[in-house]
This record gives sequence, structure tokens and C-alpha cells, in this order.
Amino acid sequence: MVEQQEKLLQEALGIVREQALGMKLNLDKGKLMDALKQASVMLSELRTSLLSPKSYYELYMAISDELRHLELYLFDEYKKGRKVADLYEVVQYFGNIVPRLYLLITVGLIYMKTNPSLKQALLRDLVEMCRGVQHPLRGLFLRNYLLQCVRNILPDVIEPTEPSEGTVKDSIDFILMNFAEMNKLWVRMQHQGHSRDKEKREKEREELRLLVGTNLVRLSQLESINLDKYCKLVLPGILEQVVSCKDAIAQEYLMECIIQVFPDEFHLTTLNPFLKSCAELQTGVNVKNVVISLVDRLASYSQNCHQDETSTQEISQLFDIFSDQVSSIIQCRTDMPPEDIVSLQVSLVNLALKCYPERVDYVDKVLLTTSLIFERLQLTCVEHTSAVSRQLNRLLSIPVQQYNNILTVLKLTQFTPLLSVFDLTGRKAMATSVVNNALANNTMVPTPDQVETILGMISALICDQEEQQEQDPEDFAEEQGLLGRFIHHLKSEVPDEQFLILVGARKHFMTGGDKRIRYTLPPIVFQAYQLAFKYSQIRDQDDMWDKKCGKILQFCHQTIMALVKAEYADLALRLFLHGTLAIGQIRFTNYETIAYEFLSQAFTLYEDEICDSKSQLGAITLIVGTFERLACFSEENSEPVMTQCALAASKLLKKPDQCRGVCVCAHLFWSGKSQAGQELKDGKRVLDCLKKGVRIAHQCMDPSVQTQLFVELLNHYVYFYEKGNALITVSMLNQLISKIREELPNLDSTEETEQIGKHLSNTIEHLRNRSESTEADGVSYDGLTL
Amino acid sequence: MLVLVLGDLHIPHRCSSLPAKFKKLLVPGRIQHILCTGNLCTKESFDYLKTLASDVHVVRGDFDETLAYPEQKVVTVGQFRIGLCHGHQVVPWGDPESLALVQRQLDVDILISGHTHRFEAYEHDNRFYINPGSATGAYNPLGAAVVPSFVLMDIQSATVVTYVYQLVGDDVKVERIEYKKS
Amino acid sequence: MEYGLNAFQSFFGFGQSADIEIVLDGTENRPLAEIKTEDGKKERHLLYYDGESVAGKVNIKLKKTGSKLEHQGIKIEFIGQIELYYDRGNHHEFTSLVKELARPGELIQNTIYNFDFQNVEKPFESYTGCNVRLRYLLRVTVVRRLSDIVKEQDIVVHTLSSYPEMNSSIKMEVGIEDCLHIEFEYNKSKYHLKDVIVGKIYFLLVRIKLKHMEIAIIKRETTGSGPNTFVENDTIVKYEIMDGAPVRGESIPIRVFLGCYDLTPTMKDINKKFSVKYFLNLVLMDEEDRRYFKQQEITLWRKGEKSYKGGGQSASPHQPTHLVAGEGGPKGTESPRTIGGEPTLHSPSDLPSSAFEDLQREDSSPVQQDTSPTSPDAPETVLGNDPPPPLIPETKNQIPVVDSEE
Repeated sequence: MVEQQEKLLQEALGIVREQALGMKLNLDKGKLMDALKQASVMLSELRTSLLSPKSYYELYMAISDELRHLELYLFDEYKKGRKVADLYEVVQYFGNIVPRLYLLITVGLIYMKTNPSLKQALLRDLVEMCRGVQHPLRGLFLRNYLLQCVRNILPDVIEPTEPSEGTVKDSIDFILMNFAEMNKLWVRMQHQGHSRDKEKREKEREELRLLVGTNLVRLSQLESINLDKYCKLVLPGILEQVVSCKDAIAQEYLMECIIQVFPDEFHLTTLNPFLKSCAELQTGVNVKNVVISLVDRLASYSQNCHQDETSTQEISQLFDIFSDQVSSIIQCRTDMPPEDIVSLQVSLVNLALKCYPERVDYVDKVLLTTSLIFERLQLTCVEHTSAVSRQLNRLLSIPVQQYNNILTVLKLTQFTPLLSVFDLTGRKAMATSVVNNALANNTMVPTPDQVETILGMISALICDQEEQQEQDPEDFAEEQGLLGRFIHHLKSEVPDEQFLILVGARKHFMTGGDKRIRYTLPPIVFQAYQLAFKYSQIRDQDDMWDKKCGKILQFCHQTIMALVKAEYADLALRLFLHGTLAIGQIRFTNYETIAYEFLSQAFTLYEDEICDSKSQLGAITLIVGTFERLACFSEENSEPVMTQCALAASKLLKKPDQCRGVCVCAHLFWSGKSQAGQELKDGKRVLDCLKKGVRIAHQCMDPSVQTQLFVELLNHYVYFYEKGNALITVSMLNQLISKIREELPNLDSTEETEQIGKHLSNTIEHLRNRSESTEADGVSYDGLTL
Repeated sequence: MLVLVLGDLHIPHRCSSLPAKFKKLLVPGRIQHILCTGNLCTKESFDYLKTLASDVHVVRGDFDETLAYPEQKVVTVGQFRIGLCHGHQVVPWGDPESLALVQRQLDVDILISGHTHRFEAYEHDNRFYINPGSATGAYNPLGAAVVPSFVLMDIQSATVVTYVYQLVGDDVKVERIEYKKS
Repeated sequence: MEYGLNAFQSFFGFGQSADIEIVLDGTENRPLAEIKTEDGKKERHLLYYDGESVAGKVNIKLKKTGSKLEHQGIKIEFIGQIELYYDRGNHHEFTSLVKELARPGELIQNTIYNFDFQNVEKPFESYTGCNVRLRYLLRVTVVRRLSDIVKEQDIVVHTLSSYPEMNSSIKMEVGIEDCLHIEFEYNKSKYHLKDVIVGKIYFLLVRIKLKHMEIAIIKRETTGSGPNTFVENDTIVKYEIMDGAPVRGESIPIRVFLGCYDLTPTMKDINKKFSVKYFLNLVLMDEEDRRYFKQQEITLWRKGEKSYKGGGQSASPHQPTHLVAGEGGPKGTESPRTIGGEPTLHSPSDLPSSAFEDLQREDSSPVQQDTSPTSPDAPETVLGNDPPPPLIPETKNQIPVVDSEE
């Protein structure tokens, strides 16, 4: 196929070369008639129907090059005053229309150049005569030749210098007519040939569109076309043709062309008619692309131009005009897919954001319009994967990203209502991007009202929705983790406001159900603790501080109880312990009771809910660690707790756990504090704990574990010995050391055994260092057998 | 050899994210090892550390729910044995003598622990102790305002140079502490 | 021209003989006109118009000096005659004027006679056709007993017409039902020989795929009468006016300069012997090479040359006044008029009485011939019984559009 084209083209080009050569020889000899005949033979090659548009173009180019010679010769001859009129008739004797018209145009050009007073009439004549070629390809090229020929002689003045030389008005008429005819021919290509060749035909049309568009380029190059002429003559003429041709490909291309070739100032003034025409375009036309391209141009124009008064005024109307016209386009084009409708709204939002960054109401208006459209279309739920959903996501994401401040987004009253059009996945995606934006920009939401609004906006993440959804646990965790992080951004600098925020937030998050609250309630509790600290800091300024702290701790208590109810015992236990520590620090009225309540809740959880032995050891260690820090209890309250702890430790399931548990408890009796902050230093009960540990270790069956425990016990003994517990003696240490040394060689030679050995030798080395040290803080190591 | 030491992020319980200034400092590809004292709390935080270095060691903090992290861990970097432990298990919390018990048990040159949300680095009985504090400056009820901090160890044979990064106000302050293995 | 016997005598030297020369007056100022001879050669003769005197001299030169030439009288005749080729023997003389130049007697020396046919009526135009020839000649005869000496001299006569009083345009809607409706318009019905035909074709309905359209000028010469009527059609020119397939609403301009073609004025029933009529034949060809055509008679007339007669208007056909102004036809996107599918939508007032006529279709397939019957309403305007002659390529340039793939 390609080869055959090439062959045909080469043949034609051969004839062209041959005839052109003859033509030039004859011209040299002054034999004009013979030359014209040869030119006509050459031009007859353009009568072919066999060439593809591409090959035809090459042939055309070759021929128009040759016609330049003829044109130059004729101009030389006739500029001296010979009458062109006869020649203009003579070329019309040629029987075939295609060569005849090419020659007529060529001679017509000379005629006009030598007789400018005929321009007006001749331009009209030529453009009219070209109607004779109705074959699309041949007609397009013929008219292109016409346009090329006259491009430098088109009248470009507003007032004529000589009456019949014409004005820019004649040029406009001429080009518009040529444009209309070319466009008709171009459109006609679509309807020729077999329907199975549609694709090929559209590709060919694509290749030829530039020929049609060149008319518009020429118009745009006429300098005398001012705004007034553009509005009254040029644009109406173009639009009339574009609309009436009823061809989608042409309409889309030409509208785009108009936008690209004419200056933005013109567009600014002619928005209404242009957009009105958009509404009238064919079904297949991607009107939204056209409109969007215009919006984008004008948006960046208005951003960049030096705004003189008129353009400022026009720019100020841009949004209203676009908004009205887009809505009428949507109304007219009932076939327009919803995604295109939404993407038009996207362009409006872009416009509003670019040109009027401060006019939040404009964006809001677009969102409202979009909502109403969805209502009208009865689209209540758009599927996440659908094109509409993607566009809607863009529509809502753009303000989020452009403002880059969710507080501004919150001013959009229509944002949340429009969100409801998405399906669950879509709503979640949007909510996620809102939250992420806040996190990325470290935006704080400072008032209870705003918190209320934004939590409503992202409710898809907060609680179960009507639609159910299977979700990967890891994704779920990530999503809820995101919410958890976001809670730290619900923050007012004003403590009272902050409390209201937390109350309001909890109300929302409590609706999330058991599976969500483990992620969302802990942040609220921690924020509440921090708030209590804050009140504590400003106790001088707020008389009510301690009542408020009490209220906050009550709030925390309730919140943690919700987690208890949802069986997150480990988490709740830790939160209670944290609460206890906080209360101990803040010391508001009645703090001891509340701290005790918190601690006992933790203890209850330990006893009732935490079953597995490893968790139990961890929990009791934490309780002990926490209690060791507290200095808020009177003896009356602390005594039973410490006893309970020791008891609990000794009741752990596994012997090693028991052993280690009681060792930890020993610290309670030494560095645990009274309400006055005094360490207890109860050496006897420390020793009781350690002894209990030794007893338990003895009960341990595994010699390796037993030895390990002995080394650990030795270290605890050493610890308290060095701390000055007088009840611990060097002989106790010696006993333990010898016991270990006795056992150690019996152990299998394993890595563990080696570790135990190492542990022991580190301990021995420590003791040696201490005993050798001159500054032994009054602790004597005399009699220590190392 | 650069070793990043950090922990007690408590995201999302107590904080929304690492300070932006820290994130800027922590560039992927510069750090060889990460030692984390725990309380990452979420998989995302762990994944984030993984983007900074492939070798990440984490021990379990009191708010880590996953059972995948051990209570204690020993990592060898260069000539150093480094022990890692969150520290909530060591009573009294942050007590040097109690931590020394762990050091002896683990037989390490450097013991890293956290939990107190307060940066510390000191030598004790010829061993080196580091507490990187809380990288997010997460709330802690134990005392005053928490300063976000983390530690970078530059280990060259028997020497470790410790840089501590603290976010004071809006500025990152860096201190340098050197420790030589005897 | 001398007759054979005369030459024979002269050859053998019997008796005296003479050369006759007719010299017309005013040859230096009088233009020559071209006319074809019977065998197609072109001759040029002096041009006369009706009512002009034809005067001159007759020179008789004796071939032998000193010898006398006896004769029965010398006369000169002015003859207008029609020669029908199929009837060689009979020349129909419509004009015959005789002047006696000399009474019977003898010539002893070269002699010059003046003659003058004053204000001669020359009612018809000189014409050479396929079957007929109309000529004017002067004949000098030296009457002798045995053989006359005769000399003939042709002149060419052009008949001039004044501007026709009525010269309405030709406008007509034709078509094939539900296939093709067109309306064509020629700006006049009467054209002078250097005129230009300006017109337009509006496509009102196009449901066939046209390939091209041309206008042919056909000359029809009718000779004889009754059963001996001979009709000869001659396509003078074929002129392509459209390339490609138009769609409904298109209008195609027509502009044909007549000046360069070999045309004569229309001649009607010349002396009851012959007629010459001209037709514009609009031919449309579709992609299957079917041809549709419509013939329309036009009247051609000869306009007086300005320099000679001074009468009439002097519009040069290539002045810009002849450029298409675009008026009347569709402009830009406008349709020429509201065009419905049905011809009844047209206002009948601006159309001929038979508003809608069938376009003739010339077809190779006999089946299809039946499908385009002559409309009985308007038989006189349908020229279907007289299809155009087959296309004969003359020179490359004149091949009507035929796509080269065939």
C-alpha cells in the first residue's frame, strides 16, 4: 500500500518536473501561451484521486513551488503595464476545472498586485469560483493555494486608501468564506467511503485539519482586526460555521483553534458568544476540553497581565460569565456524560482559585451547582472506580490542595454535602486527603465548631456507614491511625475551648465502634491529660482550674472505661496508670481519691482481664514501676497497694516470673514514696521480697534458669546493699556467689550457660571495682569472697 | 558507621508525626543501622524507619502491641556490643544502678534505653548509657515539657561519637559526646 | 476559378482566352473574415454586412496580345446561395443580381469594368456546416459561343443583430425524483458571440454520488424537411465546471467565455432549407459513470463590432463586471434558499410552468433507462431523445473528468 503510494507519487512528480521544465523554457523564450499549456498539464496531476492526503500534499507542494516561477515571471512581465485582463480570461479557457482554477488564482494574484483597485472584486471572484471544486481533498488544497497566494496582499486597513482596494472587512469576508468552504469540504470527508474505513478517514482528516485552521491563523494575523471587528464580524462568522457544520471533529478542533490563535483580550470580551456556541456543539464534541482550555488560558492571562482598568473589570466578570455559560452548556447538552459535567466544574473551580483566591464563595457556588446537577441526574452514589468519581475527586481535591489549609476548606459549606455523592471508598479517599493535608501542613483546627464541621466531613473514616465494606486489617489500621494522628490537630490554645473540642471529638469517635476506638480514644485521653497539665500550669490565672482538672480526669475515666468495655484491657490499664501519674503530678482537690480510683481500675484490670502470663508479668511490672513513681498516696492507701502488688507478683504462674516479679516489688519498699515525697527505705520488706525470690528460685526445676535467677537475685542484693540496706549482709552475697559457682560448672555448655557465666563475671567485676574503689560511699565490702 | 538511635514516638497516641525538621535531617541512605527503643506503636512508623535504613532493630515499648519486638536485644556494631531495652521494665525507671543491672546481664558496652522521654548520655562504670528521649517529644506525665530528641552514633573502631539532636523551640540543636571503649 | 474546358482551350492554344480578376473596392479598410470550406480548410474573405454596397472593378486580361476575344456579352452576378451537400446538383439561390458589363462584341485589349451593386440585401450569414453551406459570391461571366469564361469571388457576410429586447435568464429546476434536484440558472437566454455565460447551479437534493459536472455547447444543424430532414449535432466544447461530489445546498458557479469558440449566430429556418441552433448541455456524471444531462437552447447572435458599426454596447467580457459577485448565490454557510426534499416547496412563480422536470439520464443499462421516463407534463423541454454524443478525447486538456483508476 505504502509502496504503491510512493510509486504513484513518484510518477506524478516526474511529470511535474518534466512539464515544469518545459514551462520554464517557454517562459524564457517568452512563449506565454505554450508555458500556460504546460502549466496546465502539470496541474492536471492534481486531478488524481489515487493519492493519500500525505502524498497529495507532497505533490501539491512540488507544484506550488513550480507555480511560483510562473507567478514571478508574470509579475515581471505585467508590472510594466501590460494588461492582465486578457490573461485572466485566457486561463479560463482551460477545460478542466482544477488546473484552470490554479491558473486563475495565480493570474488573479498578478492582476491584484498590478491593479490594486481590483482587489475587492477579484478576491470575491476567486473565492467564489473555487466552489467548482467540491472534491474534499482537491478542494482543500486548491483553497489553501488561494489563501497562500493572497496572504500578503489582503487589505489590512480600516479605511480604504482607494475605494475599491478594499479594507480589512473585505479580507475578513474573503477568509471567512474560504474558511467556511474549506470546513465544509473537510467535514464532508467524514461521510465518504465505507464505514469500515472510519478510523482511517478520521486519521486522514486529522492530517488535513491544519489546512482549515490556517484560515483562522490568517485572520488572527490581520492587524486591523480590532476588538470591535473581532466581536462583530470575525467571531460570529467563525462560530456560525463551526456550529452549523455539525461535525464533532471539526467543532472540537476549530473551537480549540479559536482559543489558541486569537489573543486573550479578545476572548475575555467574547466569552458569552463563544461559550453559547459551545452549548450548541455536537454530541461527540468534547466541549469540556474546549471550555477547560479557555478557562486555563484566561485564568493564567488574568494572573499575568498588567491589569489595566478595563481588563480588571472584565476579569472580575469572568467567573460569573463562565459559571452561567457552563451551566447553560450543561443544560443544553443533555447527552453530556456526568464526568464531563464535573470536569467543567473543575475548570470553574480552577478559574475561581486562580483569579479570585480570596473568593471562597465562588468555589462554594460551583460545589453547590455540582450538587444540584447530581440531584437532577439522580446520581446518589458514584462508584469509586468510575470516571465521575475521579472527576468529583479532582473537584474537591483542588480546593484542598490549592488552599493548602483545611480551615479555608471548612468555609466551603457545600463541601460535605457534595461528598455524600461518593460511594464509601470515594468518601474515604477524600476524607483521607483532607486529613493528610492537615497533617502535612501542621494545620490546627482551633474551634469546637470547626472540629464539628471537619469531623462531619470525614465521617466516612470515623464511623460505620450504611454501605458495608470488607477491609484489609492492615489498611484499616493505617486509616484509623491516620485519624488518631489527626486528633492531635484538633487543638485550641484556649484550654476551655480545647476541652469542648475533646468532648465534641469523643462524641464523634465513640460512634466508631469497638474496632475503631482503640485507635481514636487513646489520643483523646492523652490530649486530655495534657490539658489537665495545662490547667495546672495556669492555676494562677484560672480559679476554676482544679474543678476543671477533676472534670477532665472524669472525662478520661469515662473514655478509658469505653476501652475497657471494648475489652482492650492492656491498653486501658496503661492509660489508667498514665492517668494516675498525671494526677499525682497535678494534685488538684481530691486528687488522691481519683488517683486511687485510677490505680485500682488498673489493678482490677490486671486481676480480671489480663490472663496470659507474659502480659501479666509486663502489667505488674508496669504497675510497680508506676507506683514507685507516685507520691500521692497516704500510707492508708499505699500500704494495701504495695501488699497487693507483692502478692500478685508471687502469684504469677511461672516460677521465674514470680521470682522476677517479687524482685521488682522490692523497689516499692525502698524507693516508693510517701505523700511527702520521702522514700520508704523499708529494708526489712525489701529483704523479705528478695528472700522470697531466693525461695522461689530454689523451687525452679531447670538448673540453667535457676542459676540465671540466682545471678539476677545476686544483682538485686548487690543493688540494695549498695543503696545502703543494712539488713543485707556480705555473707548473703557470698552465699549467693558460692551457690552460683557451685551450680555453674554443672550446667551444660550452652550459649545460655556462657551468658550466665558472663553475667556473673560482670557482677563480680562490678563488686571488685567497688571494693577496690576508695569512694565506696561508706559501703563496706569487707569479707566479700570473690 | 552511622547508627540512628531513637524511640518513644507514640504516634498516633500522643503525637501526629515526627517534627518536620527531624524528617528533613533523616535522609534515606546515610544511616547504616537504626536502634529503636520502642513505642513505635504502628506499622507505619516502623515502615518509615525502614525507608531510612534497611537494618532496623526495635525492642518493645509499653505501648507496642505487636509481639514481634523482643523485650531486650543485643546488637554488635564495629567493636561495640550494644544493648537495647525500652526501660519501662527497669524499676525505678531511668535509674542508673538499675540500668547497670541490665548492662551486666546483657554484657554490653553501650546500653540504650528509653521510656523517660528525656535525653541522656553518660558513662557509668566505664560503660556508656544512652537514652535518646522521645523523637516526637511525646507527652509524658513524669515531669516537665518533653524536648523532641534523637541520637546519632558515629562508630569508628573503638570510639563512638554521639550526636544528640534536640528540637528546642523551632531550632535543632546538636551536641557531641565522645566515648572510647577502654 | 476557371472551368476545365476553358483551360483545355488555353492549353492547346485554340483561340483567345482571358484572365478575369475581380477587385473589390475598399479592400484596405475592409476586414477579412474566416470561413471554413466544405472540406474544413479555412479561408479568409472580405466581410460584408447586409445592405452594404458591393462595388469594384473587373479586370479582363487577354492572354494573347494582338488577338481579339469575341464574346456574346459580359456580366457580373451577385449571388447568395444555399448548397445542400446531399443535393449537389441544386443550389438554391436566394439572391441573384446581374449587371451587364459589356454588350456582345469583341475585346481587343485588356479592359476594366466598374460595377456597383448598391445597398445589396444580404439577409443571411455565410455558413459552412456539416450538410449545408450558405455562401455569397460574385461571378463574372464572359459569354462565348462554345465555352464561357467565368470567374467567381466569395465574400463573407455577417448578419448583425441589435441587442435583443427580451433577454431573460434561463432558470429551471430539474432532477430525478428523490435522487437529484438541481436548479440551474444562466444569466441570459441570448448571447452574442463574444459573450460570457454566467450562471449557477444549485443543488437542492443530492442522493447520488456525483463525480463531476460539465457544460457542453452543442450546435445542431437541421437541413431539409419532412422525411428528408437531416440533423447533425456537433459538440463545440466541453467545459468542466465542477469536480467532486457536492452536497445539498451547494451552488456551483458557471462562467464560460464564448469568444474563443467556433460559433455562429443561431439561424432559424434559413430560406426554408436549414437551421442552426445552439444548446447548452449540462451534464452530470456520477461515480458509476452514469450521465445525467439537461439541454437548454440558447440563442447566439452577432453583435456589431464597435469600430465598424458603432452600434450596441461595448462590454468586454473580461472586465471585472463579469466577475462573480457572489450575489444571488449562497454565501458562506447560508443555503441559497430553504430547500426541502420535495420540489413542491418551491414557489412556482419563479419557475417555468412545468416547475419540475426530469433530468435525462444517459445510461448503458437498459433497465435503468426505464426508470427515468420523460415527464409527460413537460415533453417539450425534455431532450432525452437526443443524447449527447459519446465523449471523444481530443487533447489531454479536454478530457472530461474521468478518474484515472478506470
